[in-house]
Amino acid sequence: MSKLNLLRKGIGAAVVGAALLSTSAVVSAEETIKVGVLHSLSGTMAISETTLKDVMLMLVEQQNAKGGLLGKKLEAVVVDPASDWPLFAEKARELIEKEKVAAVFGAWTSVSRKSVLPVFEELNSLLFYPVQYEGEESSKNVFYTGAAPNQQAIPAVDYLMSEEGGEVKRWVLAGTDYVYPRTTNKILESYLKSKGVADEDIMINYTPFGHSDWQTIVSDIKKFGSAGKKTAVVSTINGDANVPFYKELGNQGIAAEDIPVVAFSVGEEELAGLDTKPLVGHLAAWNYFQSVEAPINESFVEEWKAFIGDDKRVTNDPMEAHFIGFNMWAAAVEKAGTTDPDAVGDAIIGVTAPNLSGGYSAMMPNHHITKPVLIGEIQEDGQFEIVWETPGMVVGDAWSDYLAGSADLISDWRKPMACGNFNTKTGKCGGSGS
Amino acid sequence: MYCLRSLLIPLLCALIFTSNLSQPAQAADLETALSGLAEKSFKTRLKAVDDIAATQDERASEILDALGRGDLFVANPGKHIVMPDPAASGAYLFAATGESAGSYAKAAVKKVKINNRMRSAIRKALGTLTLGSPDRNRRLTAARSIFNTRDASALTLLSDAIARETDSTVKREMERARAAALLGSDAEESEKLAAIDVIAPMANQDALALLTQVMSNDSGAVAQRAERAIAEMQSSLALWATAQNVVYGISLGSVLLLAAIGLAITFGVMGVINMAHGEMVMIGAYVTFVVQDVIRTSMPDLFDWSLLIALPLAFGVTALIGIAMERGIIRFLYGRPLETLLATWGVSLILQQAVRSIFGPNNRLVGNPSWMSGSLELGQLTLTYNRICIIAFTLVVFAALFVAMRKTSFGLQMRAVVQNRQMSAAMGIRTKWVDALTFGLGSGIAGLAGVAISQIDNVGPNLGQSYIIDSFMVVVFGGVGNLWGTLVGAMTLGVANKFLEPYSGAVLAKILVLVFIILFIQKRPKGLFALKGRGAEA
Amino acid sequence: MITRMLIRSLDKGSYWFLGLLALIALLVPILHLLLPPESALHVPGYAVALMGKYLCYGLLALSVDLVWGYCGILSLGHGAFFALGGYAMGMYLMRQIGDRGVYANPELPDFMVFLNWSELPWYWYGFDSFAFALAMVVLAPGILAFVFGWLAFRSRVTGVYLSIITQALTYALMLAFFRNEMGFGGNNGLTDFKDILGFSLQSDSTRTALFAASAIAVGLGYILCRLITRSRAGMVLAAIRDAESRTRFLGYRVEHYKLMVFVVSACLAGVAGALYVPQVGIINPGEFAPANSIEIVIAVAVGGRGTLIGAVLGAVLISYAKTWFTGELPELWLFALGGLFVAVTLFLPKGIAGFLLARWQAFAERKTAPGTAVATNEGAAQ
Repeated sequence: MSKLNLLRKGIGAAVVGAALLSTSAVVSAEETIKVGVLHSLSGTMAISETTLKDVMLMLVEQQNAKGGLLGKKLEAVVVDPASDWPLFAEKARELIEKEKVAAVFGAWTSVSRKSVLPVFEELNSLLFYPVQYEGEESSKNVFYTGAAPNQQAIPAVDYLMSEEGGEVKRWVLAGTDYVYPRTTNKILESYLKSKGVADEDIMINYTPFGHSDWQTIVSDIKKFGSAGKKTAVVSTINGDANVPFYKELGNQGIAAEDIPVVAFSVGEEELAGLDTKPLVGHLAAWNYFQSVEAPINESFVEEWKAFIGDDKRVTNDPMEAHFIGFNMWAAAVEKAGTTDPDAVGDAIIGVTAPNLSGGYSAMMPNHHITKPVLIGEIQEDGQFEIVWETPGMVVGDAWSDYLAGSADLISDWRKPMACGNFNTKTGKCGGSGS
Repeated sequence: MYCLRSLLIPLLCALIFTSNLSQPAQAADLETALSGLAEKSFKTRLKAVDDIAATQDERASEILDALGRGDLFVANPGKHIVMPDPAASGAYLFAATGESAGSYAKAAVKKVKINNRMRSAIRKALGTLTLGSPDRNRRLTAARSIFNTRDASALTLLSDAIARETDSTVKREMERARAAALLGSDAEESEKLAAIDVIAPMANQDALALLTQVMSNDSGAVAQRAERAIAEMQSSLALWATAQNVVYGISLGSVLLLAAIGLAITFGVMGVINMAHGEMVMIGAYVTFVVQDVIRTSMPDLFDWSLLIALPLAFGVTALIGIAMERGIIRFLYGRPLETLLATWGVSLILQQAVRSIFGPNNRLVGNPSWMSGSLELGQLTLTYNRICIIAFTLVVFAALFVAMRKTSFGLQMRAVVQNRQMSAAMGIRTKWVDALTFGLGSGIAGLAGVAISQIDNVGPNLGQSYIIDSFMVVVFGGVGNLWGTLVGAMTLGVANKFLEPYSGAVLAKILVLVFIILFIQKRPKGLFALKGRGAEA
Repeated sequence: MITRMLIRSLDKGSYWFLGLLALIALLVPILHLLLPPESALHVPGYAVALMGKYLCYGLLALSVDLVWGYCGILSLGHGAFFALGGYAMGMYLMRQIGDRGVYANPELPDFMVFLNWSELPWYWYGFDSFAFALAMVVLAPGILAFVFGWLAFRSRVTGVYLSIITQALTYALMLAFFRNEMGFGGNNGLTDFKDILGFSLQSDSTRTALFAASAIAVGLGYILCRLITRSRAGMVLAAIRDAESRTRFLGYRVEHYKLMVFVVSACLAGVAGALYVPQVGIINPGEFAPANSIEIVIAVAVGGRGTLIGAVLGAVLISYAKTWFTGELPELWLFALGGLFVAVTLFLPKGIAGFLLARWQAFAERKTAPGTAVATNEGAAQ
């Protein structure tokens, strides 16, 4: 939002006042379908989430240009949960109860999703969650349009183990100390061991949020990598800590040919804040890159740049997830003929929508979607060059096969099963039962 | 299985090389080899790299160089491999011959993609191709790269090169490379033992890696000798590791010091709990961004000077903001230090959001000038240039500030006002101006810190928040109102943190340092260097 | 005797305030549960949860005001006590889930199952009992405050030094709780609670009951604070606030008084946290963030330091402002909040309550102007 606009909005608000604002919302409620946008616009997560809010505004605008949904216009209701987790729950409640939105698109961190989850289940509304996450969850009310670990982490490791990826034998699993890296690394550790990697060839390292002094860790990685076996770093380091991490990597001279770093949380947006020259060749695994060569992607990138009014802005994977999720929701609403959450929830299973890499993604019965997995190498211009992709679509797996607690669980929200954690061993819905 | 393959591949390579060496190099070969680059599969392109190297053509090294840089293109129609003509933009040269290929539209040329495997192959090939280069540095790089790739096929080339070499450094590196290559080959045991003797004195990580591999691949006397060499190396490496920890600690400490030193003035000297201090650091970093942005678009040649240009600007901008803050808000709150906390917290929120509204919530790109990129190897110490610069810069700022406080009349007035306001006013000092300038100085130094921190950390709206708590800890630990205390405090905390980190992990190290500070304050409630006398009680 | 003490410690403003709280505690549940949703006076569910949350912040502000307003201890780490109380309650709620978690493990919370914990850590024992959890809600913050205060006050750490190390305390705790090895769920914290004392947390009646409990807790907390501050000990506390050294020279054991009030305040904060968690449905280490503690201190300053009622008022007001701005003008809310802090410190140094009180006194004086004016003149003359 431009400064002028902001100022205008501020003055407007001061003049009109709270009372008028709330009545105006009531008046328009009749003619529109409301879509909630629940992304932090301030605080630590604003850096990632603001873009997603803008994407949602663009998608809603485009849908309206196409004539809206069910003959009604869509209206995006934007709130700011301010990177504050209890506020996420509060805002979700406000969106559903007060604004009566038909569906909510939002959340980024796992904790924000966990915070709003009970609210969505209680009030029976729909949440579309666009970010790659640790899995181990399947809710009736949540649709996971980001990658599950088997749609990102495992293919990336497969690639590195392959001849083309350099036949890596020794692994550093470096992450920020929170649940996504912990779980992903648990899964990877068990996966690597199942592939015959020895204990001493795996190094696991956790750092706090926003860690900025990477000298010791980078030199440890260097040491670990000089044991004579091809070494790679699998990085689940979170957002802000990446910039100083890569700067230190570059300066300590760890080139991608020696020790490649494959990251799961570094996309085009993060690279925009970095000098990528020393990083050329380091990898990232996503389901989408801006550099994907497909006509649909080209037009999306163009529309995005025009919408945001900045030629330098980039697109990234969670944006694509919103693109897919929004289109799936719209298709399901058309199919169900109503925005009623139960009807839409039933209708959306099996719905396909185009993804930006030129194929079609489908919503699976476990509320995860099918996606291609791409591996890209960082280029000097801050973009990724795709060096490998899965031959077909990968189905998102809610429950990892490589974790003891969840290996027997499956999720299927179709009737009559309609269960998020069905145990195939005991034949009962509801976990391990042990 | 692994060792088998690692033996086989060099062998195969050696075969290819020798067979090719016997033939005279021809441009036609090069052309055929190049055509592989236009293929879609990485495997074919990888083979093309080896083929190009195998032609031993004099253009091969230039072509591979260009490929590594991403300067090789497939031009359509005809699938010619071309490289940009340095003489004219839009014009290209045929890679195979170096003759002009005319100009192509941007859509007609497509970059030859490379991946990490190709990159290592290029590096390896260049290693052997440039051993005979007239440029000393290129020969040095070539030798080092062969050392790392342990390319047994380069043995003959290396022996020739060593015989020719006149420069002693390069010669030593080449001998080491030869030793490494020997150890990777199936040479005689005696030769290998001699090679280990060449490697052993290196005592660095690369040598250690090499010998570890030898130890696991070979057996008998060679393995034993390698094991002994490794044991020797490790004790020396442990010593270096301690030294490295100290250096890392000092480097972390100097970042802490830089961030805290402005606070030592606004908080330490003036008693203002300036919660907006972190935002001054942030603004300094954003000034750097703006300066670099302007330079990038209008005068790219000046990029290496961008930080030097940004320094006075950052100081000026933040000092002015500081003075405005002092005149507008803080001067009404003297004597109520806790209330300054509230007001400055408000200011910090406003500044954060202002930056977010103007520059957007994303991190901004601030580049390292070329003289700050890379690292210096000093024995076994890796010192990155940007850290060295920051340590030096911190010390300069600290010294300048110290001199300003002790030797200038402004410094004298500042200290006088802090010690006894009424008396100073009676002596004709304009205390209000001194207040404003002191606050401006503190803020300006925070701005300088921002320029330096932009080199190692994110430049985003939250930058300040991540330094504010640490800064307060440093000032309180060192002793409020004492610059030396701040220096010693910052360095102590930095080094302590780095020594704890290897044992406890980064998170626990930080927690332990905080607990240590809390306990330390119990012991010395006024910090490391407490002010004594009348001025202390306030 | 207790009644006498009560009556002595409560003034007219107190009665108004307590009356108002009682009214809210009664009226909101009635309006929420009994009126049909279409009614104009109906209080929707989200509003009840929201107001309950505000009241918890109010109680936290009360505890901050007790130490800051009446004893001059500026704690920038009260959020730590709040969060500890919250975690104690959260652990109870977590154990209440039983085998209804996604892995249906009767013993271990979900986050422990998928991180391969095999048994419950010892410090989780006992939290399946509500009484034990309640005790821990008070004890955990209380003991931390006792140890911390005992160290700090004994070695006479005062002023900004104390403020900064309280900040270090909450910061260190935040980092510690972020660690997954701690066994408190790391960054995700404790969430997905099902019920409390057998009542579903999702039901309207539980929510209103929690709301009413919060209102009552604020009332009781207020009375407790009044009792302390109006007692003899309270006078000593004020003396410490105004001139610590002098009080010490008069023979009072300053550190004992400070320690007492600090511990009481921490316990109050813990209770606030415990009420907060079931209403917002999550507790995560973010609650330990120094910014939260600073925000609550600022709420006290905005409302009026040393007025108790003002503290509650300030907390409710700022939380409401946050709700409103983040909903209606997301881009502007930090400007508004920041501007408010600056304006209040500059123009309302005594906070809103102090300002209103001064106005009220001026008004009352004017009303009785002739008589009092004469009286003061006479007083001056003598």
